[in-house]
Amino acid sequence: MRETEARSPVAIALIIGVLGYAALLFIAPLLAMINGAFAKGLEPLLATFQDPSVIHAFQVTLLLSFAAVVINTLLGLTTAWVLVRHRFRGRNLFDTLVDIPFVFSPVIAGYAMIVLFGRNGWLAPPLFPIVFAFPGILLAKVFVSLPFIIREVQPVLEALTPEPEDAAYTIGASRWTTFRRVVLPEIWTALLYGIVLTFARAIGEFGAVTVISGNIEGYTETATSFVFRALNDRNNTGAYGVSVLLCLFSVVILIAMNALRGRIIHKEP
Amino acid sequence: MTQIPLSYPTGQGAVAVKRAQAPSFGAWGLRFIALTYLGAFILVPLIVIQVQGVRFGLDVFWQSITRPEATSAILLSLYTSAIMAALNTVIGTLTAYVLVRYRFPGKRLFNMLIDLPFAIPTLVIGVMLVLLYGPQTPIGRFFDTTLDIQILFAVPGIVLALLLVGYPFVIRAVQPVLLQMDFSQTEAAQTIGASAWTTFWRVIFPALRPAIVTGALLSFARSLGEFGSIIVVAGNIPMRSQMGTVYVYTQVEAGNLQAASSVSMVLLLIAFGVTVGIDLLKWRRHA
Amino acid sequence: MSIQLENIHKSYGTQRVVRNVSLHIETGELFVLLGASGSGKSTLLRLIAGLMMPDSGRILLNDRDVTHLSPQQRGTGFVFQNYSLFRHMTVAQNIEFGLSIRRVNRDERERRTAELLDLIGLAGYGERLPAQLSGGQQQRVALARALAYEPNVLLLDEPFGALDVKIRAQLRQSLYEIQRRLGVTTILVTHDQEEAFDIADRIGVIDQGQLLEVGTPASLYQHPKTMFTATFLGTTNLLNAQRNGTSVHIGDAHLPVPPDTDHLSGKSVQLLCRPEEITLFTAPDAANGYVIGRGHVESINFAGSMLRAVIRLQDATQSTVQASLLPADARTLALTVGQEVWVSIGSYHLLSAVEA
Repeated sequence: MRETEARSPVAIALIIGVLGYAALLFIAPLLAMINGAFAKGLEPLLATFQDPSVIHAFQVTLLLSFAAVVINTLLGLTTAWVLVRHRFRGRNLFDTLVDIPFVFSPVIAGYAMIVLFGRNGWLAPPLFPIVFAFPGILLAKVFVSLPFIIREVQPVLEALTPEPEDAAYTIGASRWTTFRRVVLPEIWTALLYGIVLTFARAIGEFGAVTVISGNIEGYTETATSFVFRALNDRNNTGAYGVSVLLCLFSVVILIAMNALRGRIIHKEP
Repeated sequence: MTQIPLSYPTGQGAVAVKRAQAPSFGAWGLRFIALTYLGAFILVPLIVIQVQGVRFGLDVFWQSITRPEATSAILLSLYTSAIMAALNTVIGTLTAYVLVRYRFPGKRLFNMLIDLPFAIPTLVIGVMLVLLYGPQTPIGRFFDTTLDIQILFAVPGIVLALLLVGYPFVIRAVQPVLLQMDFSQTEAAQTIGASAWTTFWRVIFPALRPAIVTGALLSFARSLGEFGSIIVVAGNIPMRSQMGTVYVYTQVEAGNLQAASSVSMVLLLIAFGVTVGIDLLKWRRHA
Repeated sequence: MSIQLENIHKSYGTQRVVRNVSLHIETGELFVLLGASGSGKSTLLRLIAGLMMPDSGRILLNDRDVTHLSPQQRGTGFVFQNYSLFRHMTVAQNIEFGLSIRRVNRDERERRTAELLDLIGLAGYGERLPAQLSGGQQQRVALARALAYEPNVLLLDEPFGALDVKIRAQLRQSLYEIQRRLGVTTILVTHDQEEAFDIADRIGVIDQGQLLEVGTPASLYQHPKTMFTATFLGTTNLLNAQRNGTSVHIGDAHLPVPPDTDHLSGKSVQLLCRPEEITLFTAPDAANGYVIGRGHVESINFAGSMLRAVIRLQDATQSTVQASLLPADARTLALTVGQEVWVSIGSYHLLSAVEA
């Protein structure tokens, strides 16, 4: 469908309506939050950002989110490849599974982890604690952000014609070399897009982490759980300040998402 | 797939027969890795919740489900998610239409902002809403005292949060379909004499229906599991403003595992059922 | 590098795609595998390349059994019909890909790439991307890419099928010259009989997975052994006839027996005669060649450099015969529809009337 200039009153009304709704729905709250963060002035805000527990919470969040991205990239790429290129019974079932984290409440996921790895859990770990520690948080982040890379890469892989890869094989390139030099450049943009989404989701994860991490300050607190605790402690400046910072991250991620999305659209034949 | 996160399963028969069939043991290794990955991270939690739900016995399950707090929590989740999905369907479709059809200043920026709810942590979304509509804010006070409607900590606030969280779903599902739509169909309708509304309703809308339904269902299923924004925005008063996910949370914190298990299982089953339903629709269309 | 196929079988599920194909191709030969769509010719090529594994049989390259080797290990060059260039790499990067994975150093790669670009007539195109090339140019790059690492065998799967007729003719001529220059054993798969005739040393005719016959273009055209080959390689007339020990009876005429037909002695046969071997005369004594009967002209069609006439014979069979004439000859005859003419044939061949 081609773009047209909006001329009729109906068109203008629609545009205003749609934009107005969006403004009310989230632009206004966004502005309200920024306002709230600066409500008591710049100094308390800066103090928040220099608070060691805040810094630590961010470190935990970023580190574990990054780890989740790495895990989901390697395993997600493999999974996308297998789902597209392999044929086996149950393939469709596994394909459906990939969508589950979209609708699986993180709270319930956290609860499942407690059932599995908690003190009296089914797989109570002998060596190191999982639930109230880093591994648990990492698992939660991997879980909630699992589908993105797979779902972004799958359609691009499917659309690839077989000839270039077959050509590479006859030329003498191994399967790995062919993947690296022929396939990867084709899926690169979609992969990057998926990585950005994964990262955003992992950073923002809250429900599972809250249930399992026990919120021990200074050890397993993430940025989001800090906000939650700050709200409960009536530390509004802290809560709003960290929220604004998280939003900042999100906006950067958003810009990256859109730059990549534009490239994906333009590449489509 | 260019929109997020509505990526759908890609259907059967993905492997064309003509691909090189060079044998390799590496293929089995890859398959093992992929299936273990999916199995461990997704199948296992699914099974755990289902088993945990019924392991104390079906009568215990039934008892915990039919406790008034549990029932009310589940129903509240279903009710608010349904309202949100209905509203979102209309607004999302119109928004997608506007984005594709018209040129207006700030369009690119707007298109970018649509993804904001995906990029922002849900907890922060809740914080944002509290700061704008909370009882201590001008807007909140206005609604409370003058119109006697409580926004936050009540159903309207919950629906508001869900609307925010689910905002991109229908839009991003409908947009690509509209973009690929052949303009000649609408032009033909207009030359026949159809008004703009008729053209939309009888030519464009039927083609969009599958995408709209999918987007709506997906936002519905997503909302059933929403927690981060809800815990801040909803009052969490049992029987009145406590959502299913918050109920599970409080029960886990209190150590009432049976109650947590049963409600978890029900919520999960519903969401899972919706997802499978979407997939089945998708495969039937492609078959 | 010679190529030997021994009893190759391949099926997809229950469908037999390649049936018991055995074939020997000489070193340096330009061999064309000719057949209709779905005849199994592309599958056969992919089996030789290693992109597929046969269900049974052996494949030997220079007497080395490669049947179970991966495509990487066979050292063949393959040119696909289309879409095979690496989209994100330049022309030069595409061509030198095979050298790059063989760890050839950069100077040598550049030298060789320049050489190949010259060979295919695209000197100076090294920095272009495939999307900036025409279809014909892309196929030339695909050819150069396949030749860069000096493969022992060159395999081409309908390489010109997606191109315009004129480009097709140019490219196959280029291919022919390149193949002659390099002397690389080549198999080209096509359904285009004209293409096969133009460049093949030998042609293998394949139908429904079976290799029917192999021979030079001339021998297959003039002395085909199967009905399929006869009709696939060009229009032909097939007339019922009887061969006894010493002559061929067709209608009232007696013709001498052609060579290599003793196995058909005493049998009903189909007399195969190409339209260009038929001459028309207004009077029987003016005829040369072997007169087979009399008929009248049913239709005349203009076909550019010649005319096609359909003659209905006046004998008991009332069969039709297609003749092609030069315009000059048609003018001499004052050829018109309905005209009565005498039909004589020059060279002809016999096929068994009953095909297994």
